[in-house]
Amino acid sequence: MSPKVGEEVPELVKHPTTRQLVQYAGAQGDFYEIHYDQDFARGVGLPGVILHGLLKAAFLGQLVTDWLGERGTLKSFEVSYRGIDQPGRPYTCRGRVTKVDGEMVELEVWGEDAEGKKTTVGSAVVQMK
Amino acid sequence: MAVASVVDRIKARIGVAGSPVTAVLEAGHLKRFAEAIGDPNPRWLEEVPPTFLVALAPTSYHLPEAEEYGKGWLNGGSRFEYLESVRVGDRITATRKVADVYEKSGGSGTLLFIIFETDYVNQHGRTVARLRGTAIRR
Repeated sequence: MSPKVGEEVPELVKHPTTRQLVQYAGAQGDFYEIHYDQDFARGVGLPGVILHGLLKAAFLGQLVTDWLGERGTLKSFEVSYRGIDQPGRPYTCRGRVTKVDGEMVELEVWGEDAEGKKTTVGSAVVQMK
Repeated sequence: MAVASVVDRIKARIGVAGSPVTAVLEAGHLKRFAEAIGDPNPRWLEEVPPTFLVALAPTSYHLPEAEEYGKGWLNGGSRFEYLESVRVGDRITATRKVADVYEKSGGSGTLLFIIFETDYVNQHGRTVARLRGTAIRR
């Protein structure tokens, strides 16, 4: 069935840990210390180590590709980081269809911290088969 | 004064491509990346998930002058455009450049925004993806 405007994307809840941040740092090759060194992170004014923005983007990417499956192709994907997130707290990814124009479908996507604050917002365009 | 010169010095680099980086997409790297993001989709054993290309080659390049500004980096955002799928064995060349640099006043002072653009081209000479990333010095 083709997507309809207003359709909600099934939520994806992630449980990032400091271990995962280290794993991600290695897999991406981003060794900025704010993602694994508590003292360094506090030294630059953060409350402690924080999630990589691109890890949160990857979570939102999974939200979209899980929803899309084999029904179409991802054409573009955009995220803006609005707030920091710390490991040990759940991170909930959500989305909604905002536009359907023939086979092109636009979605808004966002990630919420444990308090429901949208710390990452973005959008995706998919082309349905 | 020193701050203004940082902006001017980075401005001089706008549009100048950094040295291209070429990497072959290895199955093991892809698997480690999918495990790290916690995405069990079996598709990612063969083709790349939406954000993987940032792991294949650095999306920014070292700007020593930027580090004179503020005390740390923040990632402001990322925009990916996908033209072709990327699969294990593909040889991808990433070319990065500074697309823009500007200062903005925020609640906690002035921030420096640097926009990097990366083009990814495969072994057949076709552009497979583009990335626009915003790096912030605070």
